[in-house]
Amino acid sequence: MRPRVLTPPFPGATLNQMVQYSDLDSTFAALADPTRRGILEHLTNGPASISDLAARFEMSLPGITKHIRLLEEAGLVLTEKKGRVRYCTLGANPLDHEAAWIRGHRKSIEDRMDRLAAFLDETKEPS
Amino acid sequence: MTTPDPTVTDTTLTVTTPGDRVIHIERIFDAPLDRVWAAHSEPDLLARWWGRGNRLDIEKFEFERGGHWRFVEHADGETHGFEGRFREITPKERIVQTFEWDGMPGYVSIDTATFVDLGDGRTKIVTESLFHTTDERDGMLQSGMESGLSASYVALDRLLAA
Repeated sequence: MRPRVLTPPFPGATLNQMVQYSDLDSTFAALADPTRRGILEHLTNGPASISDLAARFEMSLPGITKHIRLLEEAGLVLTEKKGRVRYCTLGANPLDHEAAWIRGHRKSIEDRMDRLAAFLDETKEPS
Repeated sequence: MTTPDPTVTDTTLTVTTPGDRVIHIERIFDAPLDRVWAAHSEPDLLARWWGRGNRLDIEKFEFERGGHWRFVEHADGETHGFEGRFREITPKERIVQTFEWDGMPGYVSIDTATFVDLGDGRTKIVTESLFHTTDERDGMLQSGMESGLSASYVALDRLLAA
């Protein structure tokens, strides 16, 4: 018999994280600008330094930093300093909640199907 | 019914996501349709597997069209409530129900379970979960932010693949 694994309904997410999905104003504000959307799209390829981004989007460092800060406040981008260089990566954003929701539900169904199979085996009538 | 289905092999689970809003899972059980149906329609039996090995309290189980169901799963000293309504019940064929977890109120999926008698003492269950995307996501779709949206979708795809 399979070991019983206790799985919360939505693995990897605490209840608190899950319910804090309502603050979308900052997300919309952050996304309401073509440069910031461009930055996000660029970051889907992987992390980039702020100076890389400034060069790519032909902006001054203070200018790009302002955009990054807005994206960061919306949780769309994370920044991390390595040595003297600050790198940006894609952050958690409200779409994570939908992803967690869908992923968690899929896991729940799979776990239930496992248990159903075990239950049907255990209760099998001798033929 | 004995034609091999190329997407399914014995007792394995296949999971596909035809769109980003649907989860499709098929699984074959080594039990006849009558027993598989009973495991879904009789609360005493349902309680023995639905909780995934955890204690399950069935607070409501109105097994009829429009009927309300509510289950509480006990895991790790915590309780998790799930509930919804039955939208369609066709005996030994199909159950359609809404599904909501207390931890994410307002996020409702529509789950369809289809039961297929394989004619050899086994039963296939096909489950499809349709996720109602939230307003914010539909809003993003309509606001014409193609690049921002594609970035979000790439991120979402990556998360779903994780």
